[in-house]
Amino acid sequence: MASKNGIDRQDEDEVCPVCKSSRYLNPNMRFLINPECYHKMCESCVDRIFSSGPASCPVAGCRKTLRKNRFRQQTFEDIGVEREVDIRRRVMHILNRREEEFDSKRAYDDFLEQREEIIANLVCRTDVAKTEAQLQAYAQENMQSIKANQLLEEQEATSFQKKILMEQEEARLRQQMAREEYENERREQQATREDFLTRLASGSAVDAAALAREGNKVHLKKSSARRSEEERIRQKQAALRGSEGKRTGTPLTTADTAGAVAGAGFIKGLRKIKTPEPEKPYDPFMGLVPGKRDYYTQLESYPYAFLDKLRADTTVQAGGYALQEYYSRTLLEAFAGLGCFVQEEVAERDATSALGLSKPASTAGAAMAAVGEKAA
Amino acid sequence: MIEDDFYRASSQYRLWSYTETSLQSIRSATNQIASDRVRAALRRAREQHLSSTTSAAVESQSEGATEEKNIECLTPDEELVLVRYYCEKTVELGETYRPPLPTNVRATAIQYLRRFYLTNSPMTYHPKSIMACALFVATKTDNHYMSLRQFAEGIPGDTTPEDVIAPEFLLMQGLRFTFDVRHPFRGLEGGVMELSAIAQGQGAAAPHLPHHTSDSLKRGILSLAPPPIACASVHDRIGRAHSATRELLKSAAQMTDAYFLYTPSQIWLAALLVADRPLAEFYLDTKLGGPLDSTNVGADASSHLQNPLYELRTKLSKVLMDCAALLQSYTPLSSDPAQMKSLKRIAKKLYHCQNPEKVNLKRDVAAPRLNPAVDSATPMSESETERLVKKRKTESQQIQQEGHSVFGPELVPDRTKH
Repeated sequence: MASKNGIDRQDEDEVCPVCKSSRYLNPNMRFLINPECYHKMCESCVDRIFSSGPASCPVAGCRKTLRKNRFRQQTFEDIGVEREVDIRRRVMHILNRREEEFDSKRAYDDFLEQREEIIANLVCRTDVAKTEAQLQAYAQENMQSIKANQLLEEQEATSFQKKILMEQEEARLRQQMAREEYENERREQQATREDFLTRLASGSAVDAAALAREGNKVHLKKSSARRSEEERIRQKQAALRGSEGKRTGTPLTTADTAGAVAGAGFIKGLRKIKTPEPEKPYDPFMGLVPGKRDYYTQLESYPYAFLDKLRADTTVQAGGYALQEYYSRTLLEAFAGLGCFVQEEVAERDATSALGLSKPASTAGAAMAAVGEKAA
Repeated sequence: MIEDDFYRASSQYRLWSYTETSLQSIRSATNQIASDRVRAALRRAREQHLSSTTSAAVESQSEGATEEKNIECLTPDEELVLVRYYCEKTVELGETYRPPLPTNVRATAIQYLRRFYLTNSPMTYHPKSIMACALFVATKTDNHYMSLRQFAEGIPGDTTPEDVIAPEFLLMQGLRFTFDVRHPFRGLEGGVMELSAIAQGQGAAAPHLPHHTSDSLKRGILSLAPPPIACASVHDRIGRAHSATRELLKSAAQMTDAYFLYTPSQIWLAALLVADRPLAEFYLDTKLGGPLDSTNVGADASSHLQNPLYELRTKLSKVLMDCAALLQSYTPLSSDPAQMKSLKRIAKKLYHCQNPEKVNLKRDVAAPRLNPAVDSATPMSESETERLVKKRKTESQQIQQEGHSVFGPELVPDRTKH
């Protein structure tokens, strides 16, 4: 039965359902599908029917309007799988929230479940209209965040690709190095052995022991070379680990700035986006306006005979003496402390200091002295 | 008000502002300690004298005990009169120099004296020696340079430079090492400057009362009630008030406790109030709103609402009245025969109750200067310095004793010997 089925399908594949031409007659024949209705037809049929613009599907009973540019080759043998993969891709493209964007792991899981439900609805054709509407609304509202996340994904993909390539390249280099090293070693060994033999042949018996020692040294050198190789591998692994950490350490960048608030109605548990407050200009006086005064407004100049003399005096002016300084100082001193009511404020201060740390220092000293006196 | 916060940062506000009661209690405490000390010192002196002269110590011992009770010490009030007399003397001393010392320097010296005698008694340190030193320190802190020799030469009598600076460290301790004195003089200049600007129609409205214009201010100052002494013009009036206020600040403000009880700004406004009341009231009104008449009681509620400074203004006018009363209560000692008489009595009394151990400051001061373990935050009252000296003495004795103990002499003998 199974074998028969397989043969059947093979047969079906070989024959175009529209023009009934078979692969047997045309070995270059290619079959295309359109994701609108997933009906299969051969390339020549597509060219023939859809070259002059959109037309309805030639399969009997299917009234879908198809366009030529949407036709593509089938990836999976099973049309159902093909369709599901398409749907999944489309939905994932829109609902591309990332884990970092959620408050908790739980919220992210809920989102994944919701997404699966939507995909299942579309695949099984339950509530298609409603689901599609939801999806469209969401896509429109979150255009920016979707785009940002897509960009992120792309970046990740390319960087991942790059990393793989780099790793491969490194592995290749490493292998090559190892091979070369091994080759060198072998050659060296051979050379020393030859040297050793020739020396043994030419030298006296006394030299034999010394020569043997030298042979040992070569072994040592080899092992140290191997050790350095191991060291290099370890370093590389550490570097890999480091880069991984860096990758996970930089979430929430571009995708974050998009308005997730809009999507909050559809997807729950999205993290509230804290737009960082624009940094205020640095205020060295902590809110104090330097020139602000409460009791007076300083004028440009004051009619005051005593100061007019100074103003005319070049010896005073030459030093850079500014009368403005004098004005501000005298006026400040005129009013500094006008509203300080010493009687009240000092009484209050004394009361608090008596409760707290120390009595007024003089009386404390007096008390101490009195005690000392008695002791004496 | 920002200006008030500026003042609150000063050491004058933080360390040298008192209420009347706290001022009194500090003075009486100082007096109490000093009199105890004087009695003890006199008794010691007598015992020493007796033991050195005769063997009849035994019978005179009881006599000494009864006599000791008879030593009459100064009261806080008498001390205050004495200090005030020497404050006046400081002014005279400043006059003797050619050119005379600036008012600022003299005023600072006076305040130094007053501050010093809050925690020290004239019975312990005679004001005559402290006075010159205070004036000398004031020339330094107020940027009026004078060499010590020049300064000492200016003092009548045969005062050597060493005499002048002998109590210098002591004085600084008494001042808690705060040399900043905020005077009302410059503030007065500022006020007069503004008043004359108003009189010329150039006045600017205060930040909290923007409804004033220079014209309305000028009209206000011209329509003031006439001054106590008739003047030809507004400028005359301001000038006269200025000089009168200045005189008051130079004398009454210095010789009373005004600096301890009020802020410099309040002091000069109070002095202006004494000199020319309508003018001062008008000036305050331009700053804080007003006027505060009992006639517009009906409008009081509305004006209260209009003017957020109303409360400050009423409070301030009361404080200024108090301060003015204090300033007016002052009469110079030298002009009053009765006061001079009592002063002579006090001086005589002081001669008898002067602490004999503190007379020679030149010798004494050398010792404390070597022991400058002083907390600048607390005033070093006389009792405390002595306590420190005593403590150090016992410590050194202990060290010497330990030198002969079982563990042998101390480890670094060389360093202590030299």
